Amino acid sequence: MTFESILAERTAELSEKWAGLVLQTYPRETQKIWGRQKDRFDNPVGVTIIEATRELFPSLLEWDDAEKISKSLDKLIRIRAVQDFSPSQAISFVFLLKKLLRDEFFKPMKKEGTLEDLLRFEAKIDNLAMMAFDIYSKSRELIYRMRVDEVKRAQHNLLKKAKMIVDVTVEESTD
Amino acid sequence: MSDIPKADELFTSIDYAPPITGWMETPVDFSPGNWCYPAKPEKMEYMDSKLPGLWGKAREWSPGDLDWKLPANWKETVVNGFRERLDKFRSLKVFMDICVRCGACADKCHFFIGSGDPKNMPVLRAELMRSVYRGEFTLAGKIMSKLTGSRVMEEDVLKEWFIYFYQCTQCRRCSLFCPYGIDTAEMTMMARELMHLVGLNTNWIMEPVANCNITGNHLGIQPHAFKDIVDFMVDDIEEITGRRVKAPLNEHGHDILFITPSGDVFADPGIYTFMGYLMLFDYLDLDYTLSTYASEGGNFGSFTNNEVMKKLNAKMYHEANRLGCKWILGGECGHMWRVVHQYMDTMNGDTQGPQMTTPTSPITGTVFDTSAATKMLHITEFTSDLIKHNKLKLDPSRNDHLRVTFHDSCNPARGMGLLEEPRHVIRSVCNNFFEMPESTIREQTFCCAGGAGLNTEEILEIRLRGGLPRGNALKYVQDKHDVNTMACICAIDRATLIPLADYWAPGVIITGVHEMVANALVFEEGEKRTLDMRLEPLPGFEDEEDDWTPPNKEDA
Repeated sequence: MTFESILAERTAELSEKWAGLVLQTYPRETQKIWGRQKDRFDNPVGVTIIEATRELFPSLLEWDDAEKISKSLDKLIRIRAVQDFSPSQAISFVFLLKKLLRDEFFKPMKKEGTLEDLLRFEAKIDNLAMMAFDIYSKSRELIYRMRVDEVKRAQHNLLKKAKMIVDVTVEESTD
Repeated sequence: MSDIPKADELFTSIDYAPPITGWMETPVDFSPGNWCYPAKPEKMEYMDSKLPGLWGKAREWSPGDLDWKLPANWKETVVNGFRERLDKFRSLKVFMDICVRCGACADKCHFFIGSGDPKNMPVLRAELMRSVYRGEFTLAGKIMSKLTGSRVMEEDVLKEWFIYFYQCTQCRRCSLFCPYGIDTAEMTMMARELMHLVGLNTNWIMEPVANCNITGNHLGIQPHAFKDIVDFMVDDIEEITGRRVKAPLNEHGHDILFITPSGDVFADPGIYTFMGYLMLFDYLDLDYTLSTYASEGGNFGSFTNNEVMKKLNAKMYHEANRLGCKWILGGECGHMWRVVHQYMDTMNGDTQGPQMTTPTSPITGTVFDTSAATKMLHITEFTSDLIKHNKLKLDPSRNDHLRVTFHDSCNPARGMGLLEEPRHVIRSVCNNFFEMPESTIREQTFCCAGGAGLNTEEILEIRLRGGLPRGNALKYVQDKHDVNTMACICAIDRATLIPLADYWAPGVIITGVHEMVANALVFEEGEKRTLDMRLEPLPGFEDEEDDWTPPNKEDA
């Protein structure tokens, strides 16, 4: 039985445990509320944590659809990129899966002499972390761009009045 | 955002467990991005010259510094100010006493939902103030501070107030769920008043306050420049429709004074909504005027203290009286309507001139009794009435490329109960309208997270996480119904919902309701339009003879 198939059998349980660890990166009072409230509109963060981990876990086993994985990562990272986290804290949830698997499998696999299967699988999690880093940076770049755009929009008509924006029309175009 | 951690912090562990201290002991993060820039000293000096005694000493300071340069007697000022307000505002005293900490509000605040910061739970935000109330003003609190969750006013407490009472948009969603009806917005207002007394303020609020007081609009644009800008829009309307519309400014002797947020005059995309007003009024040949003196409907004073709110609000009746107007028509704005609906009559009702009468539509004859007290009518009530009486020729198919949802702005929705009129107008001017989920609209609407003076770019991350609940509901209708447009009736919304949508539901654009009215409005029988209000080709109505592509669009 491969390590992947052992994981596959425990997908629901392990992704739920992973979600639990991600939830623990938030303050205790918040964990209580976000763990309890299941409505996706009243509790978008809690529900997204559950959704993202539930999607990512099997994707990690299949490891054949980068776009799907990015999409699931994006859901959660987009949120954590604007929360009060440092960049490393924001994407730390990926490494929490590593922690979970080590807690669950390290000792028994060491005993059985199959530890290298775990280490091999962990390389996927490392890859996931690199994808997470790219997505995080993309989210942040978007925010910087939006900041500039916002200032421009707020002054639109003033720039026009100062002739800093000039509309091109057929009659006036020189080319 | 927090600062990037030092290498050794990363090196030691990747255990990211949050602090397990109680909220009172958890320190506040004062790194940049967690606060709005303080007001420029010259703005505060100006305000102090007009309304002395409310602002502390004008000075350069930064919330990022350890020393906030508070006056020596700051504690006395705040505690005395608190006591004075407890006596003056019965509601504040009641709100301080009756909360039983049931937690019904805890998960209702958009800032909490998005951030997970417990101090953004309305019950805890209020507790920041209530703990001081107990510690300073109640006997039990003075004796048993720990047991009753009390504390006295200290510098750390004041600094905590500054961070968290500027992470409240006064949207009042929490009070909707409070069994006692405690209004956290009013508590935030009081906390801000007290902070102003010792010179804690933000520039995004105070500069517009000063400008509105001097020139009448939030950017301080002078009347002649204001006129030029309105004329630009008249030119654009002519290019789109072929019709040169009137834009009367500061004219005496008209029945109606029209006031809208000045953001609609200067900022994209509010300008398209403003053009919509001009077109509608020209179509109706409405007897109205605009004013430069009262050109800001939005009341930035309401984010500071009740004295400034009153002073800025008073300009509306002053101008109506000066120009001889009978009543005031108000544009699509948020907090303007909270102030008009809840405070204007009490604050300035006695300054209404004898010429003022209950708003009556000159087109349909409808008398708007609900506006009898203030003499101010909301534009969507006015337009909805016109549509109901079949007074507008509309071609909703001009908006067929738009798949529209509607964001209830907090103030009109919860502050004045304006829920059906904007929907009636939208349904009449477009064919594709989809509601967001029930728990996110109408009275339960989620805030844009930019209200009450927070719509500034230095705290964009705070706004974005506060905007998550709205963005999440928007994404839902985008996925389900291909919604590509979110309409709203507030100028702050029109500005702040753009980054919100770009981040949480990319591809959705933001529009005012009267921009869509303008697109659909048929000036004359057989009138052809090829451009929308943004001067972009109107899908399905493009000019077939025009094959010219602007140079910057050639590759597109």
